[in-house]
Formats: sequence, structure tokens, C-alpha cells
Amino acid sequence: MNKKKLASLLLVACMLVSLAACGSSSSGAATATPAASEDTGSTTGEVITLGTISPNTGSLAAYGAAVTTAVDLAVEEINAAGGINGSQVKVVNADDQFDPTECLNAFNSLVSQGIGLIVGSVTSGCTSAITDAANEEQVVLLTPSATADSITTEDDYVFRACYADSFQGAIAAAYAKQSGYTEVGVVYCASDTYSKGLYDSFNAACEKYGITVKAVESSASLDVQDYTNQFASMAKSGVPFVYAPYYYDVIGPYIVTQARAAGYKGIIMGADGYDTTPDYVVKGADLTAFNDVVYTNHYDPADTDPKVQSFVKAYEAKFGSTPNAISALAYDAVYMYKQAIEKAGTTDPKAVRDALADTSAVYSGVTGTFSLDDVGTPAKGASIISFTPDGDKLTTKLVDVVKELPAA
Amino acid sequence: MSTFIQTLIVGLRLGSIYALVALGYTMVYGIIRLINFAHGDFIMVGGYTMIFTIPVVLALGLPAWSSALFAILICAVVGMSTELVAYRPIRKRGTSMTALITAIAVSLLLENLAQAIPAIGPNPVVTSQIFSTGGFSISGVTMEWTTVLTIVISAVVMVVLYQFTQKTRLGRAMRCVSEDKEASILMGINVNNTILLTFAIGSGLSAVAALMYIAQYPKVYTTMGAMLGLKAFVAAVLGGIGIIPGAMLGGLIIGLVESFTTSYVSSSMADTFVFLILIVVLVIKPAGILGKNVGEKV
Repeated sequence: MNKKKLASLLLVACMLVSLAACGSSSSGAATATPAASEDTGSTTGEVITLGTISPNTGSLAAYGAAVTTAVDLAVEEINAAGGINGSQVKVVNADDQFDPTECLNAFNSLVSQGIGLIVGSVTSGCTSAITDAANEEQVVLLTPSATADSITTEDDYVFRACYADSFQGAIAAAYAKQSGYTEVGVVYCASDTYSKGLYDSFNAACEKYGITVKAVESSASLDVQDYTNQFASMAKSGVPFVYAPYYYDVIGPYIVTQARAAGYKGIIMGADGYDTTPDYVVKGADLTAFNDVVYTNHYDPADTDPKVQSFVKAYEAKFGSTPNAISALAYDAVYMYKQAIEKAGTTDPKAVRDALADTSAVYSGVTGTFSLDDVGTPAKGASIISFTPDGDKLTTKLVDVVKELPAA
Repeated sequence: MSTFIQTLIVGLRLGSIYALVALGYTMVYGIIRLINFAHGDFIMVGGYTMIFTIPVVLALGLPAWSSALFAILICAVVGMSTELVAYRPIRKRGTSMTALITAIAVSLLLENLAQAIPAIGPNPVVTSQIFSTGGFSISGVTMEWTTVLTIVISAVVMVVLYQFTQKTRLGRAMRCVSEDKEASILMGINVNNTILLTFAIGSGLSAVAALMYIAQYPKVYTTMGAMLGLKAFVAAVLGGIGIIPGAMLGGLIIGLVESFTTSYVSSSMADTFVFLILIVVLVIKPAGILGKNVGEKV
């Protein structure tokens, strides 16, 4: 074959791949319609429809299941107790596949159904793709777990049930300081909003606490499967503590075992993305690698607080598994909506938005008792949790609960 | 020094997986001048076959890796069916362009079909430990048994395959068909069967690659073959597509470039360099490193 032919074949291949990508992403975008504020007026007797957006399929599907189950539980409880302002609640779920473009499609599809109150999405990467649209369409977006700082701003329609990364990253830095580490390393994903955001806030907090960030390595995407070189570099620089903000589907099968094999023996610390890692470890692998892996999370299912226990028991009874932090946050998000709608006396998105924007409202949920700040982010504490190998399974253990950031 | 050795090892194990996958691309291309884009997805088929058969072989008291035998079988069947159902009829009627588009269609079909099967679905699955854990240490660098086996097994497979094409009757038939289809028919070679055999071997190799891959990177998901396949294809083109030693060389180069970029340049630029190298090599030597510029026969 001559080179012209080969070159043209290659070109065609590239074009087809990019066309295929376009085809799948643009399909839903055209269905965008405004008109979300039709369902104004009184709510009594009517059905309140809440929209939810979550990654039900794709690499973070465990989070999708966490949201849909917890929202179902909360709505069932609310309906059994007489609904909100006498109206029963109904849920319409849309899948974002952990893909920002799909997330916008999911958002548009909910809006076109006239839904003005949405719980979602789960990840920062996806949620940041729909915040502008939410403000434009005047649709309230209450994300259970998108922690990136940029998600919420003042005077917008976006709120969240979780703390922000500037807090979460700083908690990790505070933990490093408290544990006596003065030199730390970071491995993060350069192309992911969540991972990059946590790196930035961790880095800033380290500066504040007088900790030296001695080594920084990154990965090009969340699809990278080999982190050996990154952690070999950590081992070489001699840091005893590495901050690695990734999701469970990378931590469980790849990072921890590869880091240990690369000779890195110190602490690996992560964030709420480590939640559900125990379901994603290799059966029969040496789980002692997970010793000294800690992460910040939103709640601890073993907390003896009656609110936590009643939620955990109800969830376990209904779904047969222990709810993770995303479930707890999604559950809280529904109750935040309930409180806001009751206060507003209507489901009109604008009125509900104003009710949520009231910084004096106190929400008492599974993940703590909190108020929202000016930008719509809760001021609440974080749990620090570690993994412990237990036979061929991995269990979690509460290390510490941090209510607020320590001073520098 | 230990960084260098570590980087070299990571490069070799990535490279040997790429090389195994690239062999499949190159064999099929060599014989029917078709870039089989579905080849990457055969790895996914192999991966899931192992996910489902590992509990079975463990229950029978066999080691986990023996499930690769099922994977080889299933992959060979899938590869041959693809040839019989999709490629052969299209080769008879269409041009090489239609065949290429069919290959991309088969790739997307396999990925989406897998997602639609309830037992597979779109969620990633983590496998069991395939080879024994642990390893040994040389000058401060830990060599895991899995890594050693990955490199050794792929080296053995490549040598055996090369000898097969050079020394056996079937191997010679494959090379004849690749050289000149019409003349092969005149020489009494059953061209269709030879092509089918090539698909069986190429797809079987993808199952071996799947074994190596999930032993090292124990996560299986429906689109796992996409990037892996693309990189292997780059490896095949880099080494000179259609040439078996070229695929091995290309695979190892890609793996080493990826690893050394991560260690010595920037960890987030690994893919950038891989594809940059492809462009550079194609500009300098369009037929690939080991390729010869032969004029098209008329």
C-alpha cells in the first residue's frame, strides 16, 4: 500500500471517530426548551415534581445508585408523612453518565418536562457544565456532592448540600499538619475539575500551615491506568504523605497497589471520592496496601447520632446495604428542598431559590446541622476516615471529626 | 538509577501489552489490507469472559489465569464471526473504504452491545487477583511477579508467532495470501480459510493481551478497548503495519515513550508524546520503521 492511501485511511478513521463523538453528544442538546416556571401558584393537592441528575451508568455508576436510592427513601418518608405542604412528591431521574455533555442533555430534558427544582448532579465536572444553564433557565440546582468551589456563586440558582473543596482540601492539609508532616507530595489529575480543585485548595492550605509541597505529579486523564512512575517519584523525593484526590474506580484497582509496588510506603490521603472504594478492590489481592490510606468524607455511617442511625437503619432495611456519603447528602438535599418549599409556600423556582438563599435558615440533616453561606455552600464539618483490611474485605474506620479549620 | 529502571520496567510492561494487541492489527492488515478497528474491543470481550469464568475455574481448583483459555476460545469465535458476518461479504462487494467503515461500526456495535447485556452493563468491574502477589527487588526497584510474567509471556507469544509464520505450512500460507491473493489461489491455498485462521489467531492474541492487561490493571469496562486499541494501532503503524516484528517494535517503543515521558518530561503529557511520535515517524518514513516503500502492483 502506498502512503497516500494509508494517510487517507487514517484521516477517514479520525473523522469517523470525531463524528461518532459528535453524534452522541449533540442528540439531546437540540431539545432545550425554556418554560420551567409554569408550575407556579399554590401547591396544595398538586404533585411536586423533583428532578434528579446522577451518573447512573459509566465509571461512577455507584454514585448514581447512591443518589437514586437515597432520594427514593427520602421521598417515600416525606410522602408517608403527608408530603410537602400537603402535596405528594414525585421524582424524575435523568442519567448524566459522568459526562458533562450528557449532563447538559439530562438537564435540558428535565427542564423541558417543566421541572424547576433539581437535585444534581453528583460530580463537580458534570455539575459545572449545567450551572450556567440553570441560572439562565431560572431552575434551582441543589447538588448533593459537587464540591468544586466554582460551582456556586452569590445571587445564583445553584446550592449544595456538601462542603466545598476549599474546605475539604484544607482539612487534608490540616490533618497532615496535625499528624506532624512538614513535607508532602501530591498526585492529581490535571484534566478533572474535582481533582485539580482539591489540589489547588490543598496547596493553598499547605502554604498557610507552613507545610512544604515537595513533589507534584499528575495524570493526563481519569482514564490513565498506570501511576507507578508518579508514585516512584514520590518515594524518591522521600515524602511521608501524598495527597491523591481521585475517585474510587482509580483508587481501588490502580493507585494504592501500584503506589506500594513503586516503593511508596507513607500515607495516601484522598477526599470524598474514595467513598465506596471497598467495593472496588481486587479480590485476593494484598489488602495491607490499604493501610495508611485516609480520606475526608461527609459523614460516618457508624455515627451514634440518632438522625444518622435512623437514616442508616431505614436505608439498610430498604436497600440491604450501608448508605455511602453521597446517599446521605442526596437524602439531606431532598429534605433541604422540603424545608425551602415549606418556607416559600410554593414550588415556584424563584421563591424556592430565595428561601434557599436565606443564610439564617438552619438545616438539620444526616450530614450535620448547618446553614448555607452567601454563595450557597453549607458550613459544616468533615469526617476523616481510614481503611482497614479485614480478611479479604476492606472496612472503614473513623479517625477524626473536624468541625472547623484550625488556625494557621 | 532506580528511577530509570523503574521507568524502564513500566515501559516494558505497557509496551508488551501494546505489542500483543498491535500484532492482531498487523496480522489482519497484512493479509486483507483492513484496519480492524474492532480489535481493541476483542480485548474487552476477553476481559469480560475472564470476569465470568474466573469463579468457575477457581471452583474447579484451577488457577485464575486458566480462565484465559476460555477467553482465547471466545475471542477467536467472536473474531471469526466478525470476519464471516461483516468483513467477508463487504470485501466481496465494497471497496477498502467500506470495509474500514464496517470495522469502526463493528467496534461501536461491540461496545454498545456489551453495555446492553444486563450481566455486563455500563459499570466497571474489578477482577480477582490473577497471578500471585509479591515479587522481588533489584537495586531498590520492586519487580512484581505480574510484571515479570507480562513481559515474559508476551515475549514468548511473539517469538512463537513469528516462528509460526516463518516455518509452518499455515504460516507460509498466510504470508502468501498477504503477498498475492490471486497467485495463492493458483498455488492451491484456500484463501478464505487462511483469512479466517488469521482472524482466529489475531483475536486469540487479544485474549492473551486481555489476560496481561487485567492482571496488571484489574478493571474491566465496556470501552476499555478503545484507547488501548488506538495506541496499539499507532504501535502497528509506527513499526510498519503488516510486518510482525514491526508490531512488536512499535508496541515497545510506544510503551517506553509513554513511561519515560511520565517520569522525565511531564506526567500529564504521555499521550501527547505518543501521538506526536506517530506523526513524526510517518512524516519521515511513511511506511513505518521496519516498513518498505513498495510500489502498488498493477
